[in-house]
Amino acid sequence: METRQIKANNVRINIPEVNLLPDGPFCMSFDFDLEILKKSISKYGIINPPYLIKNRDNSYTVVTGYKRLLAAKDLGWKGLECNVLPDSFTKCDALLFSLDDNLLHREFNSIEKAMIIDRLDNFLTKEEIIEKYLPLLTIPANKHSLILYLNLKKLEDTVKVSVARDAVSLKVAGLMEHIDRESRLGINNLFNYFKFSINQQLQLFQYLEEISRREGQSIKDIIDSSDIQEIVTNANMNKPQKVKAITAVLKSRRFPSLFEAQMAFKKGLDRLSLPSGVNVTPPPFFEGVDYRLEIDFSNGKELAGTINKLNKLPELSEITNFWKGRGDT
Amino acid sequence: MRRFTIERILTEENAESDALTQKITQRLPGVKSNRVKPDDLALIGCQDFMDKKSLRLIHFNGEFLKPCPGTKRYICCGYQILNVGVNCPMDCSYCFLQSYVNQPSLRIFTNIQEQLDIIGEYIDSKPEKIFRIGTGEFTDSLALDYIAGWSDFLLPFFSTRKNAILELKTKTTFISNIIKGDYRDRIVMAWSLNTRKIVEKEELITANLTSRIFAAKKCQEAGFLLAFHFDPLIHYDGWDDEYYDVVRLLEKYINPESIIWISMGSFRYMPQLKWDIKSRFPNTNIFNGEFVTGLDGKMRYFKPIRIEMYSKLSEQLNKWHNDLGIYLCMESDDVWRQSFGWSPENSENLSEYLDNRVRKMAKN
Repeated sequence: METRQIKANNVRINIPEVNLLPDGPFCMSFDFDLEILKKSISKYGIINPPYLIKNRDNSYTVVTGYKRLLAAKDLGWKGLECNVLPDSFTKCDALLFSLDDNLLHREFNSIEKAMIIDRLDNFLTKEEIIEKYLPLLTIPANKHSLILYLNLKKLEDTVKVSVARDAVSLKVAGLMEHIDRESRLGINNLFNYFKFSINQQLQLFQYLEEISRREGQSIKDIIDSSDIQEIVTNANMNKPQKVKAITAVLKSRRFPSLFEAQMAFKKGLDRLSLPSGVNVTPPPFFEGVDYRLEIDFSNGKELAGTINKLNKLPELSEITNFWKGRGDT
Repeated sequence: MRRFTIERILTEENAESDALTQKITQRLPGVKSNRVKPDDLALIGCQDFMDKKSLRLIHFNGEFLKPCPGTKRYICCGYQILNVGVNCPMDCSYCFLQSYVNQPSLRIFTNIQEQLDIIGEYIDSKPEKIFRIGTGEFTDSLALDYIAGWSDFLLPFFSTRKNAILELKTKTTFISNIIKGDYRDRIVMAWSLNTRKIVEKEELITANLTSRIFAAKKCQEAGFLLAFHFDPLIHYDGWDDEYYDVVRLLEKYINPESIIWISMGSFRYMPQLKWDIKSRFPNTNIFNGEFVTGLDGKMRYFKPIRIEMYSKLSEQLNKWHNDLGIYLCMESDDVWRQSFGWSPENSENLSEYLDNRVRKMAKN
């Protein structure tokens, strides 16, 4: 590989002359805490000077050292020593230089990865990004991943923060693109409050999205509906209980026929008054035809007694029809 | 219906000398052609993964005739697939190929003609068995026929076989080449049918419903047996009336006497397909129904919903004509019984039922 020696000029720069907007062309930092860096800078100064490029209007754009410059500004510094890259350094060179610098000393959160991919997309072909840069960012090298990350930039900042902190999973974030803003924010609030697992998030998102399509109302309206809000505000339930209850409510709305069948089966069993120690399990989702009967017993006499009681149950022969509602008659 | 646009041909090295390759290339004058190695997929780049604008010509080393990949614990019709190619230029949101194909582009197997001799010997060696063979499983039977010319050699091949029929299943109206030809016997022209709403919203770049039925009518008038496939049935508000509308259209234009069979199958999918579909069709409504995990791991509508769909639709079809050879695709014995009041009980009996339809309706 060809080694390229960078001849940058070390210059004292006034901080106001530097563009420090978070959407700068080489910025790849999102959702960070400057306090530790500020303490270090207060103690030792800036150990590695930032690299900048000079713009035609004589202002500067940060290539590396965005957080150092922000920290210095917060600390009230007026200026600092920086390395200004030569004019021959293209914007693409600067972006790759910044990426190399960052890759060496830290891990990126999902939004930072999305920022990098978005910026690379300005200069490189999608094939190059997939083959060369997604693996560097520990992202599966395929088109779906590329699109997923490119779409993250469309999310609201508050949702981005949740994604960066893993309060909203990457998969759900990718799916959020297709729902309305209010619904996105509603889900974001719900997920931040309850800290659902990744699998729970995906399941709840699917329930919400599909109920929304089935019932013709927005996800935000579903979240705000009384059956959900009564659980959210219930002072007698802890968070895991609320998560379970919300999941159950949404599941019953998402699968009304299945829920009704399950309830009918349960009601039928209750009415049947099975002897104690007897349990009947229907086939999963009532799809198959094989039911399971379990009898707990500690001796033969007890087993014979239970079987005898079962034999005397008048509705037992109808048990496989309970879920079809026929057990109600 | 317009023909599909092919933007480039990718000819695999070992397919270059196949006669079909030469014919296909001649049928697509002006289309850019590249020579590629069989394992060279670098050209896919970032194009749409399905890459339906590229046509890859392949000398296929796998089996050309295979039984339909039925799943355990559901009754299968025992259909055989003649593997002429993979992928389809149309774009149905629910298509299983989106998860099934692991390689891009439309793919045509250029050594099919050479393989027909072997297939013929195999079919002829089992004169007691009926071979119900179709090309419409991994691609549409007619969508690329104007390029591949399948009908030019498959129709004469099957028309002369005593114990086989060829079913060409399509969502197109590309029948002119077939009608122009001399072969009718033992050829079944079949259309996948769905409601107008599903055709418009979920079966993109296909012929509309009326056009399909008109094409079927023309084929019937030209002397072909017909089949129809209500698969996938999609459950949504008002589904019943809209499927009845399809039956009414059939009643209006089709003579039921020469329908060899009508199948019904509800929408079912492997769980991964949902994500593949959602990434390509984020606004699709096909997942709105109540799906549960089936005995084969596929997601299916909750059983009472399927039974209601099958029983209501079959009732309408039976009112039209009581000998349509209606059968269910991949359903269980109890669903058959609850939907139709009878069941073949197992795959062997369903095969026999359909074989008997062939014996009864196909000319010797």
